Amino acid sequence: MELRDVWFSYGRRTALEGVSLEVPAGSFAALIGPNGAGKSTLLRLLLGILKPNKGTVSLFDQPPGKHGEPIGYVPQGIRLPKGFPLSVEDVVLMGRYGTLGPIKRPSREDRVRVNQSLDQVRMAHLARRRFEDLSGGQQQRVLIARALVSDPCLLILDEPTSGLDPAARARFYGQVCDLQRAKGLTLFCASHDVEDVAQHAQQLILLDQTVRASGPPQEVLRSQAVREVYHFPPPHDHQEADPHLETAPPPEADKGGTAP
Amino acid sequence: MIQFLSEGFIQRALLTGSLLGATCAVLGVFVVLKRMAFIGVGISHAALGGVALGLVLGFPPLAAAGVFSVLVAWVIGWITRKGEVSEDTAIGIFFPTAMALGVALISISPTYRQGLMGYLFGDILSVGRGDLWGLVLLTGTSLGVLTLLFKEFLFLGVDEEGAKAAGLPAAFLNYLLLSILAVTIVAAMKLVGIVLVSAFLVIPAATGQALASSVRAMVVLSVISALASVGAGLWLSWLWSLPSGASVVLFAAVLFFASYLFSTIRSRH
Repeated sequence: MELRDVWFSYGRRTALEGVSLEVPAGSFAALIGPNGAGKSTLLRLLLGILKPNKGTVSLFDQPPGKHGEPIGYVPQGIRLPKGFPLSVEDVVLMGRYGTLGPIKRPSREDRVRVNQSLDQVRMAHLARRRFEDLSGGQQQRVLIARALVSDPCLLILDEPTSGLDPAARARFYGQVCDLQRAKGLTLFCASHDVEDVAQHAQQLILLDQTVRASGPPQEVLRSQAVREVYHFPPPHDHQEADPHLETAPPPEADKGGTAP
Repeated sequence: MIQFLSEGFIQRALLTGSLLGATCAVLGVFVVLKRMAFIGVGISHAALGGVALGLVLGFPPLAAAGVFSVLVAWVIGWITRKGEVSEDTAIGIFFPTAMALGVALISISPTYRQGLMGYLFGDILSVGRGDLWGLVLLTGTSLGVLTLLFKEFLFLGVDEEGAKAAGLPAAFLNYLLLSILAVTIVAAMKLVGIVLVSAFLVIPAATGQALASSVRAMVVLSVISALASVGAGLWLSWLWSLPSGASVVLFAAVLFFASYLFSTIRSRH
C-alpha cells in the first residue's frame, strides 16, 4: 500500500497536502491525528471512494478498485432505523455482495463463509440475533466478520472502537491482532485511541493534513511532532523528544474543518 | 361481496391497486431503511407541477408528472451528493417550488382545476383499460428492478460507504432508487392521490417492520398489509361511498396501529 505526494481538497478546503507513505504487506499500521487531520479522507482515497487531486494511490501496485483483490472495510459503525429486523447474518453476508455480482442470490457456500467469519470473531452463536440488539463491541466484531468474509489480504478500519469502553477497546485490538497474525493480513487502522493502537501496531503514522511523523510507535510518540499536533505530551510519555526521529514540518494551509 | 367483485371497474381497481400496493410496500422497505419518507412527500407534491405542466402543454398529465418527478428526484439527489446542501433543505426548496408552479399553472384555467381533484386525492375506481396496461408496465418494471437488485439496495441502505468499498456502484444505485421512487409515486397517484401517496409508501412497510423478525419477513408482511389495505379499503369505499384513496390509507393505518400494539405486547412477554 503506497501513497505518493497525494493532495486532496473539498472545494477550497484542503484536506491532504503532499501525503506520502508506505505500508509493507502483512504489517499493522495505525493512522493517528486530531479531528480534521484528514484520516477519513485518506481512508476514502485508499478505498477508491475519492480520487486524489494530485499524486498516486496504489494498492497491490494498482490504483484502488483496479487491483481485483478484495479489501475488507470496517466502518465506525452502522446506524439502522430503530426496529429494523436486520440480522447479524444479513450484515456479514453483505461482505460477499461485491464479489457475488448483481442479480445473483447468495449460495450455500456464501452462507458457510458467513458462519466461518462469525466463528473467527466468536460471534457465530449470535448469527440469528438482530444487529441492533448487540452491544457496540459486538457490533464491531460483526463488522470485522463482514470485512473478513470476502477473504481479503488488506483490512482497512475507520476508528473502529469509537464509543467503546477501555476494556472493550483492548479486547477488540487484541482480537484483531490475533486475526492479523493468523491470516497474514495487512491492517491499516485510523484511530483516536493512540495508546491502544501504539501497543499493537508496528507502524504509527501521525497525520495532520500531511504526514508529520511515521515509524515505530514509541519513536513517534516521543517525537516533537506529537506535542505540536496534540498541543500536549501524549499520555504515559514523559520522556524527551527523540532527536533522531525524522519528522515533517507542520502544513501551512488553514486546517479549519478539513475532513468530514 | 359478490356484487362488489363482479363489477368491471372494481376488478380493474383491485388489480391496479394490488400491483401498486405491492410495489409501494417493497419500495417502502427501502424508504424506511434509508429514512426517505420526506423525499417521498417532496416528490409526490412535485408531481403536481408535472401534472399541471402536462395539462397546460397538452401532454398526458401522468407521463408529464413522471418525467418531471424523476428530474426533481435526480436534482435533489445530485445536490445532496455534492454535500453543499442537506437533503432536507434540498427537498424543502424543490417541494414548494414545484407545487407552487403547479398551483400557478392550474389557476390559469378553471377546467384544469376539475381534473386536479383526481390527482390530489386519487380515483382508482375510474381506471380504464388503457390506464391499466400502462400501470401494469410501470409497476411491473419497478417491482422487477427492486427484486433483482434487492440485496444491492439493502447494502446501500445499511452502509453506503461499505457498499462503495465493496465495489458496488453506489451513485448509480441511488439515482436508480430515486427514479423508481418517482415513477412509483406518480403511478400510485391514481390509487391514493398526491396528498396520500407518501403515506402508502411508509405505512405498510412500518406494519411489516413491527411484526417481522427478518428482512425477508418484513417484505412479505409489508406486501400482505398493502394488499389487505387495497382490498378492504376499496370494499369499504364501495360499501359506504367513501373516497377510495382515503379508505385505503385509513385501513393501512388501522393495520399499522394493530400491529404496533401487538408488537409492544409481545415484547413485554
